[in-house]
Amino acid sequence: MTIYSLYIYDRHCTCVYYQDWHRTRRPKPAVEGGILPAVSQAVVAPPPESNNSTLAPYSSPRNTLTSASGVVVAVSEINAQSTASPLLQAPPSPIGVTSTGLAFDEEVKLVYGVVLSLRNMIKKLSGRDEQFVNYRTSAYKLHLFETLSGYKFVMLSDPGTESLRFVLRQIYVGPFLEYVVRNPLITMDSKEYGIDNEYFRASVDRMIRGSSFFP
Amino acid sequence: MTTNSATPVLKLSSTSFMAIFGLWVINKAGGLVYQRNFADGLAQLTANEYLVLAGTLHGIHAITSRLSPIPGQSSGAQVIEGETFKINVLLTLTGTKFVLLTSPAEPASTIDTLLQKIYSTYAEKVMQNPFHTPEMPIRSEAFDVSLGGLIG
Repeated sequence: MTIYSLYIYDRHCTCVYYQDWHRTRRPKPAVEGGILPAVSQAVVAPPPESNNSTLAPYSSPRNTLTSASGVVVAVSEINAQSTASPLLQAPPSPIGVTSTGLAFDEEVKLVYGVVLSLRNMIKKLSGRDEQFVNYRTSAYKLHLFETLSGYKFVMLSDPGTESLRFVLRQIYVGPFLEYVVRNPLITMDSKEYGIDNEYFRASVDRMIRGSSFFP
Repeated sequence: MTTNSATPVLKLSSTSFMAIFGLWVINKAGGLVYQRNFADGLAQLTANEYLVLAGTLHGIHAITSRLSPIPGQSSGAQVIEGETFKINVLLTLTGTKFVLLTSPAEPASTIDTLLQKIYSTYAEKVMQNPFHTPEMPIRSEAFDVSLGGLIG
């Protein structure tokens, strides 16, 4: 049993967080402006060097959330960060990793589109307020957990796994409430920034790696 | 409130209850060519609404095969689960999709066998009928009767 990736969407249909584990077929980096800053560092194109000097340090507390950093608890020197938080770095691409041929921002929209359509379809067919739970193909299984506030937690795992809804709920009740909702440095519903931060990422990572279904 | 909650409670409490709610046949262009309900439990929709849902399913099926996180070919969605029912999809080599709406407790092996049987019935009663135009709605009494024997 394997976990491949986790997407979190807010109620405005935008992806605010992404993380992956044993994913061997990766999307191309997102185009400039395709996704919000502070979603994930693994899927954005590295910023051009000249950008670093144009960012005036400490001009606004928001500087810690630029796409170059993706860190909330952070210093604004790019070099200092790269040594400070190895977890937030893009993973070195090992050999054997293929590309989906899709840019990350395109992929994010496709995932959301599928989830939303299936959710509406299930509601329509059942005739009541029934939730879409998961779907399975020959290669993977997609699980959905939706909170009352409209946040959607989407997880991809291998097709043999049981329902992972409880894991998504645990992420919501645990790390998400603790390090995102209760984090004063994160504006939720901002439509400008994702929710990526070091504590949340580390905490989700620990939770997934510690679970029984992780190889 | 009481009248509203009556049906869902009945369904949720009987998770071991097995049922086949309906069958759709979707042609390779995404058009619904056959739709039949076998048991109550899902909403009664109009023919138009079924057409829209079938088209949506056709599109989703194509997208899901592209989202695979691992190398190699992925099929489209085979099983889509809600809380009180699931949608089972069999894609044939010719692009026709057989969609079976069942209760979640129905075991995958039973459903696969049943879908294969439905497919052979389709080949026998629909495709071998010289008066049937391919990709057009299926109006065949023989197919209806055979399905009635398979599903009941």
